[in-house]
Amino acid sequence: MPVTRQLVLPVHRTVPWGAVGAAGAAGLLLAALTRTGETAERLSLYLLRAAILAFAVGLAFLLDDPARHTTAAVPTPRPVRVALRVALAVPAAAAWWTVALLLVPQGARPPVGDITLEAGAAFVLAVAGAAAAVRFSEVARPGPPVSGGLLATAVLALLFWPGRWALFVPVEDERWAAAHDRWAVVLAGAVVFGAVCAVEPVRRRIRF
Amino acid sequence: MTAVVEKPAVSGTLEEPGGPRKAVLALALFESRRLLTRIPVLVAFAVYVGWTVWRSGKAWGDYPALQDADRATQGAPMLIGLAVLLSVNSAALRSHRHGTEQLLTVLVLPRWRRTAAHALSVVAAALLTAVCVAGQFGREALRPGAIGHGSVGELLVGPLTVLLFGLAGLLMAGLVRSAVAAPLLVVLFLFLFLFFSGMDYGAALWLLPVVEDATSNTLPSDLLGRPAAWHALYLAGLALSLGLLALLVAGGRKPAVFAGVAGTLAMTLVGGVAQSAGDSPELVRARERASVHPEQVQSCVRRDGSTYCAFPEWEPRVGDWARVVDRVRSLAGGGAHEQDVVVRQRVEARYGLSGDAALESLKRPHEVTVGTQWGGNRVPEFSAAVAGVLIAGDEKAATSICDGRIVPLMWLAVGWESDPLDALRRVRLNDTVTGSDSVLQPTDGLYMTEAQTEVLRALLDLPRAEAGARVKDRWVELTAPKITAARAAELLGLPAPEGEDKCL
Repeated sequence: MPVTRQLVLPVHRTVPWGAVGAAGAAGLLLAALTRTGETAERLSLYLLRAAILAFAVGLAFLLDDPARHTTAAVPTPRPVRVALRVALAVPAAAAWWTVALLLVPQGARPPVGDITLEAGAAFVLAVAGAAAAVRFSEVARPGPPVSGGLLATAVLALLFWPGRWALFVPVEDERWAAAHDRWAVVLAGAVVFGAVCAVEPVRRRIRF
Repeated sequence: MTAVVEKPAVSGTLEEPGGPRKAVLALALFESRRLLTRIPVLVAFAVYVGWTVWRSGKAWGDYPALQDADRATQGAPMLIGLAVLLSVNSAALRSHRHGTEQLLTVLVLPRWRRTAAHALSVVAAALLTAVCVAGQFGREALRPGAIGHGSVGELLVGPLTVLLFGLAGLLMAGLVRSAVAAPLLVVLFLFLFLFFSGMDYGAALWLLPVVEDATSNTLPSDLLGRPAAWHALYLAGLALSLGLLALLVAGGRKPAVFAGVAGTLAMTLVGGVAQSAGDSPELVRARERASVHPEQVQSCVRRDGSTYCAFPEWEPRVGDWARVVDRVRSLAGGGAHEQDVVVRQRVEARYGLSGDAALESLKRPHEVTVGTQWGGNRVPEFSAAVAGVLIAGDEKAATSICDGRIVPLMWLAVGWESDPLDALRRVRLNDTVTGSDSVLQPTDGLYMTEAQTEVLRALLDLPRAEAGARVKDRWVELTAPKITAARAAELLGLPAPEGEDKCL
């Protein structure tokens, strides 16, 4: 445990706060657009979703670690290091999400609990994707491919996700509640997937 | 040992035959191949081609209007554009990412020339998109029922969008040397597009790369009022100025590049201003004339005694209309069997593409309206309108029929089809074949009561020749006003209907 505490500062210094911050700024810009008029208020749900996607893109960079191959040798196992990074990001994400929600005018705000569930699922999915990239490849910076994959997933899901299992529904839609049950499933799945992927493989694939 | 260099070293490329240009081209070829085989670009092309092939023919069937088909090529290439944006950005940052920037500076090509090679690789992606767009449009144009004219300006939008997005990604790589910038730019693009196309900004909407008019209204191509050519100029200017700015940012401070930036910015400005001019007074007058006095712009042809008046672009479709009129007349009895009709093509163009005002019924005798679309449900709708005019005398009277005459009318409308029940389902508003429902027509609709539907269904269940003979035998009584459905059934020798026989 004391080792972990001593790790906090070094890990904090290696977290790519620049990428996360830039994504957060872009997200807040999108959320702030809801204050630009009545039509914008009607689009608030979509703008909030866009903001979530922007911040999730930033979180895809969370596990970027140029020193990955060096730190593989330290005695603290990878799950602890990943958990430490996530623990450092959680307060930042929570603060960002609060600000983003407050930027949306009171009357136009979608149900807070449900939209927070969507945001949580997207954020966890991004970090889980990065963990999977670290787990199954040798890349030191999984950020760019994972953010690309996240964007592709978002666009393709938006275009082709079957209506029977609708996820992206407007607030007044009667499927809203059912869609958020599905979001909960996505969140749970992403948490489990991320936890599984955070474990360091016993054997490393050897490449020549 | 110290070596003193008297003159500054000159890059070796200047003495090579072909000079740096050849090296840029070679690098551009390599980068194009790499760009087009990146996973995001491959996935985007696969989705684009798959989606386009799957959707082809769904919108207009075998009868596309090419002035609509050209616009349909615009939206999907944005997907490729976004993938190219990501990939070209990552390619331009490759040497930065791998820390080989310093190594490359000793090579023959300075950074701005390498940027030029990346820009050319984006052009390759845009050209490939252009091939896909040409294929998609060509397929529609080669359908035997295709009419109208496509516009080069509209067709260029797809490839130019790819060029614009790709060069924006390249400029981003020059400005922000970070991998997070491009994905964020994609998110911003995606949702700013959604944001602004969801708002009604009028002329300012044309600042977006793709302007879609969500409508099912087909207009003659000279009444569209879309500044397609100016918009293509605007997009091309914007894309090129972004590309040249990327060269400037990468250090290519040559007079030609400065001049290029100025020229392309002027292009953007000219295109941007000209495209937002709005509808010209001539266009408004032409739309008014085509909507109110179509006979002034139409030419008429006679086929078997009937007259067909169509806008010039629709003249090849007269044959299709004449076939339907012939079939409907062949089922009619009495005087209607020989009655000539005037088929008048009409369009409501006064509110532009986004308006969907209904057409009013015509009052002139034996004149029937046909719309600008054909195929699918439009065929039984037109057929019902012709039948109505044959029975009631004019369109206004036909659309207010509210008695048992609906039975022979609908028999004429769908009786000649190979699958009359399917035609009946398609022509009714709620896609039903039992109970009461509205019948769609090019102008106002009709209303079928439950009893009339029952009698018609019983008539359609008879062998076709038998049913036709019974209708012709009793034609005069069947088409007399105020007849009830029960009386029509009796005349036709069918069981009396049990359902409600009261129209709205």
